[in-house]
Amino acid sequence: MRGVILFLVVVLSSALACTSGEKGVIPGTQFDVVWEFAPLPPPQHYGNILISRLTRSSTHPPVAFSHWIHRRRYTCRVCHFELNIAMKTNVTDITEAKIRKGEYCGACHNGVIAFAVSEQTCKTCHAGNIGASDGRFSELSEYPRAKYGDEVNWVKALKQGFIAPKKSLINPNFVPIPFERVLRLEPEWNMIKTRALFPHQKHIEWLDCADCHPDIFNIQKKGTKHFRMDYINSGKFCGVCHLTVAFPIQDCRRCHPDLK
Amino acid sequence: MKYKVLIVSLVLLACASAVIAASSNFGTKKRMPRPEEFGTVVINNYSEKNNIAPVVFRHWIHRTKYTCRVCHVDIGFAMEAGGSDIKEADNRNHLYCGSCHNGKEAFGPTTREKVVTEVQNCERCHSLGKEVKNQKDFNSYLKDFPPSRFGNRVDWMKAEEKGLIKLKDQIEGISIKRQAIPNPKDFDIKSTILGMPDIIFSHRIHAEMNGCELCHPEIFGAKKGVTKYNMQDIFAGKFCGACHAKVAFPFYDCQLCHLKEVY
Repeated sequence: MRGVILFLVVVLSSALACTSGEKGVIPGTQFDVVWEFAPLPPPQHYGNILISRLTRSSTHPPVAFSHWIHRRRYTCRVCHFELNIAMKTNVTDITEAKIRKGEYCGACHNGVIAFAVSEQTCKTCHAGNIGASDGRFSELSEYPRAKYGDEVNWVKALKQGFIAPKKSLINPNFVPIPFERVLRLEPEWNMIKTRALFPHQKHIEWLDCADCHPDIFNIQKKGTKHFRMDYINSGKFCGVCHLTVAFPIQDCRRCHPDLK
Repeated sequence: MKYKVLIVSLVLLACASAVIAASSNFGTKKRMPRPEEFGTVVINNYSEKNNIAPVVFRHWIHRTKYTCRVCHVDIGFAMEAGGSDIKEADNRNHLYCGSCHNGKEAFGPTTREKVVTEVQNCERCHSLGKEVKNQKDFNSYLKDFPPSRFGNRVDWMKAEEKGLIKLKDQIEGISIKRQAIPNPKDFDIKSTILGMPDIIFSHRIHAEMNGCELCHPEIFGAKKGVTKYNMQDIFAGKFCGACHAKVAFPFYDCQLCHLKEVY
């Protein structure tokens, strides 16, 4: 009996934590938590996704999408902003009809910019296998190297001219606003020098301002609540990109240069 | 036994908190409306209470024919959905929607076909959750309009310049014509952040669609520098965001306002 009461109390308190929303400290996210990063896939599969929103209820195999193939030619903003493709798998309402009308994938895969949707090309995308693009991974071997993820340092690859991804599909003259400001994000912990540096300019090469502001990061100083490593590790803030596509969280020193 | 229950409940608690942390949507990207959804407003002050489908109002259809000023100044529509508290009787008394939707300027509540039969037009507006075909189809009508990156993906200003749309600024019986006030000069709005390009604000461009009254004095005071606001307010739908977060080109298209070169 006592056990049951105890159980109810615990469940109720967790429900309370639920309703208190973003204001309270959410249990289980204390500073002394040792972060466990999700294991990384092999380099050739980093940034590869299987899109199965509709195919899982049909006989068609899921779409294998490889970020590292696409980011050589287009900056992130083209798909994730101009074409309105969400930053989570299986969220965007992509259908074959919409692609054939020129929306989403069809904005490029129309026979003009990239191969069109046809009976011959179905299986190029509907490969059903996360490693469908493995054969082309060697094309990246000449790019500057990084330690983790797909093991390519894309920032250097762009800077050194190995790639020249397009910035806009709709406006060929599009030039992003230059913004050189580097944010120094001081840790809230005493005695520990883990300050993170955020260079706006390196991000602007790939993204529009509004890709991150104001949805992911508020633009007020200290306006972003819960901007903490454990949330980043759960796919929020920097983790929207830096867990799955941009260089992964394991590469600590690229953001925290003072770490030893 | 007691301890077992305790451990089980603790595990459940941990799971619950993990789910809460993962499911709250701060720090992630929100869904951006599809081009045909942008600027679409659902008005439901009384509809559902009276068992009628709420009204789906599409800004894009109306802005192919009229300036913003006609509805938001002369007719007096609020700038937020449901803000005008429109009743059916208002419309039948030629207020609000009924100013135009009276069978003359635009379709009224009923249309006479072949003199004898009367067709009810209720569902053309009260259309939430119904498959109602508009006379203008979004994709085919706007196909050849000059493109823009966001919003309806249409550059409405260029479309007007090119003559693809001709906007009425006065409606007989509703608008009362006054002598035009010359537009004040364009001016810069200084950015408060070092390195961010200043905004070049054009009164002329805005006044063509809005007159003076839509913005002054309620959204912006009439004297320069009186109204203090920042980008965060605009994101929240205030000041410029009163239009540029909902209907006019969205604030994500930074360079359309932050124009001035930084030296």
